[in-house]
Amino acid sequence: MDFLQNLAHGVVVAVSPINVLLCFAGCMLGTLIGVLPGIGPIATIAILLPMTFGLDPTAALIMLAGIYYGAQYGGSTASILLNIPGESSAVVTALDGHEMARQGRAGAALGISAIGSFVAGSIATVVIAALASPLASLALVFGPAEYFALMLTGLAFAVLLARGSVFKAIIMILIGVLLSTVGPDLTTGQLRLTFGAVWLADGIEIALLGMGLFGIAEVFRSLEHGEARQVKQTQIGNLLPSREEMRASVKPILRGTLLGSILGILPGNGAVLAPYASYTLEKKLARQPGRFGRGAIEGVAGPESANNAGAQTSFIPLLTLGIPPNAVMALMVGAMTIHGIVPGPQIMTKMPDLFWGLIASMWMGNLMLLVINLPLVGLWVKLLNVPYRLMFVGIIIFCCIGVYSINSEPADILIMAALAVFGYALSKFNFEPAPLTLGFVLGRMMEENLRQALMISRGSFLTFVERPIAAFFIVLAIVMLVVGILPSIRRGRDEVFVD
Amino acid sequence: MSLLNRDAQGSRPAIRSPQNFVAGAFLIFAAAFVVFMLSGLPQGTLRAMGPAMVPRWTAIGIGLGGAVLVVLSFLKEGEALERWQLRGPIFVLASLILFAVTIRSVGFLVAAPLSMFTAGFGSREVRPVELAIFTVAMTVFCAVVFRFVLNQPLPLLILPAFSIQF
Repeated sequence: MDFLQNLAHGVVVAVSPINVLLCFAGCMLGTLIGVLPGIGPIATIAILLPMTFGLDPTAALIMLAGIYYGAQYGGSTASILLNIPGESSAVVTALDGHEMARQGRAGAALGISAIGSFVAGSIATVVIAALASPLASLALVFGPAEYFALMLTGLAFAVLLARGSVFKAIIMILIGVLLSTVGPDLTTGQLRLTFGAVWLADGIEIALLGMGLFGIAEVFRSLEHGEARQVKQTQIGNLLPSREEMRASVKPILRGTLLGSILGILPGNGAVLAPYASYTLEKKLARQPGRFGRGAIEGVAGPESANNAGAQTSFIPLLTLGIPPNAVMALMVGAMTIHGIVPGPQIMTKMPDLFWGLIASMWMGNLMLLVINLPLVGLWVKLLNVPYRLMFVGIIIFCCIGVYSINSEPADILIMAALAVFGYALSKFNFEPAPLTLGFVLGRMMEENLRQALMISRGSFLTFVERPIAAFFIVLAIVMLVVGILPSIRRGRDEVFVD
Repeated sequence: MSLLNRDAQGSRPAIRSPQNFVAGAFLIFAAAFVVFMLSGLPQGTLRAMGPAMVPRWTAIGIGLGGAVLVVLSFLKEGEALERWQLRGPIFVLASLILFAVTIRSVGFLVAAPLSMFTAGFGSREVRPVELAIFTVAMTVFCAVVFRFVLNQPLPLLILPAFSIQF
């Protein structure tokens, strides 16, 4: 039970007054931005990231974790009250959550989502603490070939999970990899694809990608519709679910937590699948599946718990292997790098305060949402009542300030603008931006690992077959790609998303 | 562009999926451009990869993907091109450019209201007076929060003529 001791140490770090305050501020700000329609966790974190630059590393990461949970909670609030999911994983919450809101049970939906998230978060925190040490020691035997193969598996998994055409998802990943090569070559230092521009010489910031593709592009899409979306003037109702609703939710919450914890660990953003999987499972297990889509509380409790558990365990690949499994974690890498921390197995041994403090603060962030943020739901509703014709102006100025604070470089705002146009075009041609971000996130690391692996093997690709762990991941990646292409399985996959 | 339009006579158009056709053509063009831009960089060998290897082969992959989309657009029925609503993007892009140009030269107190007021016209429901009030309020709010509470490096007001730099 070594990890419990470590966790206790982490709690001591996390409950220092300044860290509690920052965690609280992070949760509040994260909810504030995350609740804005169309702004998901990626854009929220990208906008708020610069605020943490001035803090010491542990405090900065604790605040960022708070922002992350706040953003997720804000996203759920927007889905439940407005039926506008900020990201794909909140789509599921909107199905039954918004229906509950229309029946005047918005309070119960918001309440169960916070309670479920808290339970899921608490369990997932223990899972992280327990798995961190063994996985980190596993990572120490990984060489560049293994890392490359593992990341390839992550990308294959992302293709499998992408909505719409598998082929287009592969193209998106390639574009992401290509964008990641802009800037200096890490070994020779030669500049690539910078067109002689000084402001491209350091490459493209992941935060710009997040704000452009997910923030501003979404504004473009929303402006097409005009003022159609308005908060229903419904009663929020009682925030605490009734005893009956609680009883109905206990098992979905636990099942969702289990699903989310497992899927979140997988590299390649498995967490995004968790709410869908949980919803499908609850619908299958329900005595009257017909209630789903008509305001079934299980359809909120399960997916929300799964989502939060997955969000939390997706820290595991980052903290133990140094591989960010999704764009949110890539932003965390960005934050760590700015503070001079290289993510990977060595964090745990070299910076135990930071590592265990961060993990303990995850639990604290969830608690904050429950006891502080939930009572503030009235405030968030007021915010949602601001008409979109003004709200999007606010979103744009937040993005501008966020971008400018990163490097104090006005040209970055133009890069973001270009990425926004690109993101808008992607949606017009039915391409998904999510696989692109993952390709971007992993691209540079894959190039480095591939280069080192081939250097060690003297240019022979056989190294990926001869080394058993690498071979295992390569086979896994191929299997997943084949599965993604097979029509019969594809149909099953599409059903999950249609449901 | 006549290839893209469905024939009035009802005969089957040559391009059955305009969306895939345009997307694929664009990808081929972009990939070719990238390969051209990389032409000055060494590719190296597998044993010692040069700076151009990964971007070049990735671009070639993208180009091939684009080619497949173009071929598919002749074979498989697909979606038509979607309409682009230009009003929103044009005003928002103008506002971003305004912000980028003015933030360093005159500072946030001028850049923010200017760009926000421009962006607001991207919505068809714009109400100028309301927008102006919102713009001023947001500028003050952001200046206080980001500059003073969060200590961000935001130049607030720069007027060289009066040697003000704040």
